[in-house]
Amino acid sequence: MAVIELKDVTKVFGTGSAQVKALKDVNFQANKGEVVLIMGPSGAGKSTFLTIAGSLQKPSSGLVSINGKDITKLSAKQSNNLRLNKVGFVLQAYNLVPFLNVQEQFQLVDKVKKQGNLSKEELTDLLKQLGITDLVKKYPNELSGGQQQRVAIARALYANPEILLADEPTASLDSKNVEEVGKLFKDLAKSHEKAVMLVTHDPRLEQYADHIYNMMDGKMAKKK
Amino acid sequence: MFLAIKEIKREKLRYGLIILMIFLVSYLIFMLSSLAVGLASENTQAIKSWNTQEVVLNKNANVSMNQSTLTKTDLKKADIGSNEALVGENAVVAKHKKRPSVSSQFLGVKKSQFIYKNLELVSGKKATKNNEVTVDQDFKVKGYKIGDKLELNGSKKKYKIVGFVKNAKINIAPIIYGSMTTWKKLRQGMPDVQASAIISRTNGYKYNHGNAKTYPVKQFIQKLPGHTAQNMTFELMIGFLFVISLIIIAVFLYILTMQKMHNFAVMRAQGIPSKTLVGATISQSIILVAVGVILGLIVMWITAMLLPAAVPMSFTPSIMIIGSVGMLLTGIIGSLIPIRSILKVDPAKAIGE
Ligand SMILES: Nc1ncnc2c1ncn2[C@@H]1O[C@H](COP(=O)(O)OP(=O)(O)OP(=O)(O)O)[C@@H](O)[C@H]1O
Ligand SMILES: [Mg+2]
Repeated sequence: MAVIELKDVTKVFGTGSAQVKALKDVNFQANKGEVVLIMGPSGAGKSTFLTIAGSLQKPSSGLVSINGKDITKLSAKQSNNLRLNKVGFVLQAYNLVPFLNVQEQFQLVDKVKKQGNLSKEELTDLLKQLGITDLVKKYPNELSGGQQQRVAIARALYANPEILLADEPTASLDSKNVEEVGKLFKDLAKSHEKAVMLVTHDPRLEQYADHIYNMMDGKMAKKK
Repeated sequence: MFLAIKEIKREKLRYGLIILMIFLVSYLIFMLSSLAVGLASENTQAIKSWNTQEVVLNKNANVSMNQSTLTKTDLKKADIGSNEALVGENAVVAKHKKRPSVSSQFLGVKKSQFIYKNLELVSGKKATKNNEVTVDQDFKVKGYKIGDKLELNGSKKKYKIVGFVKNAKINIAPIIYGSMTTWKKLRQGMPDVQASAIISRTNGYKYNHGNAKTYPVKQFIQKLPGHTAQNMTFELMIGFLFVISLIIIAVFLYILTMQKMHNFAVMRAQGIPSKTLVGATISQSIILVAVGVILGLIVMWITAMLLPAAVPMSFTPSIMIIGSVGMLLTGIIGSLIPIRSILKVDPAKAIGE
């Protein structure tokens, strides 16, 4: 069964002549255990798609469901809960709270979500896999772009979400790290039963994908 | 709390400056309040120390004890019990060849009555003879010693200091307690005059006969020269200070919060409830204000220890408590203003920017 499904989703920003149709009748679905890539040029609507899939904003029309439940009618508080428990976000930039060090980023999750987060051992493994074990005492502005991105990935996975949504997760990573992160995503999908959705320009990730969608001018087409 | 403390620790300079500002404002409020209370008490200290409830004066004296004279006829029917005392007041300049002159108030009192009986000695003893006086400890501060002989208003006769008492100020001047006989001598040439006033510590005491009229102590204090004007000035200043500090603190916290909107959006996107963010903002304000106020109190305390006794400041705990609570409320109100913006922050803004 699809973990996440979008049916005829449209998103319109603004009105009149300033109107932008960021999404046009988008149909999409992802299953547990899959890595799905969403690719397309700048302004195509990829980020907008992610925010709607992750319940950060509501579509103008259409249906979005997670685990078969419609999420377009959720209250702000319910959406919040959904994001906290089911969805992990890796944002395009500014992912981390600037005044918390890496370790404290995880502690913050513990403060608001008491159960179901990764255990100490699982976190240690994850940090090792991402190559950021030595960075736990560092603050975001002491990290390189690539290190920040990997911390953001760890931060998103820490709450153990069913769905991982990432916007350009490999933008500032070198080939070696892309390979690591790609493998991690694939492993998460396969052995941890997660749906991983990646918005990316990065063709190096294609080899890890089960499906690839292409976006253009707000329209989405399945490529693989 | 977690977020609040972590952020303050990380951004030490920024929050240090805010604490510095709050500290300065609260210090200023404490200083002004202490000065206001101190000055006011120089006016009323003695009256308060007597537990005065009612004051009987000559009705033509414009409610001023210094202007009032009560004659034998006026006092004929007066009921002077254990809670009433006659007082004769006269402004005098106390002179001593080796010490600074002191503008003071001479108060003639009777040994048998409660004011004399309740004098609070700091050192020495109470005056028992006509040529002895007991004086406010202000004299001690100015260098006077027990045994010093005072000239009052250039009199030939000298009066010996036999004791120092506390809480003995009236009309912003230290009191010289002496006998009624001495007072009458200072008043010169009004043979019939018995006293300036009857002080009663019985609530509701009334004696209206001849020229005598009873005033409640509140009215009496309000009529003390400069007292009302001075208090109003201070109240206005302190009130304005509170309003200004409220605005300053609110503006600072608002700017601070606005700068953090992007962080808030990111955290909201990650599912951190807005409740947590609002809680962090409010507890942060409370921490900042509390630290600032505590610093203010400490420095205030040091100031109080270092200030010469002559500075009319009164460092009473009640002022400090009221001031601190006032500042804390100010901080909380200030931090409530940006809450609306936090609640309205759009988590979608965190993406793709
Ligand atoms: N809040 C908004 N208000 C108005 N227009 C918006 C808003 N968000 C996105 N858009 C518009 O919607 C379109 C799609 O934007 P989106 O951010 O989804 O593109 P993208 O594919 O993520 O691009 P990039 O690769 O540069 O991140 C763009 O034309 C953009 O200007
Ligand atoms: Mg984007």
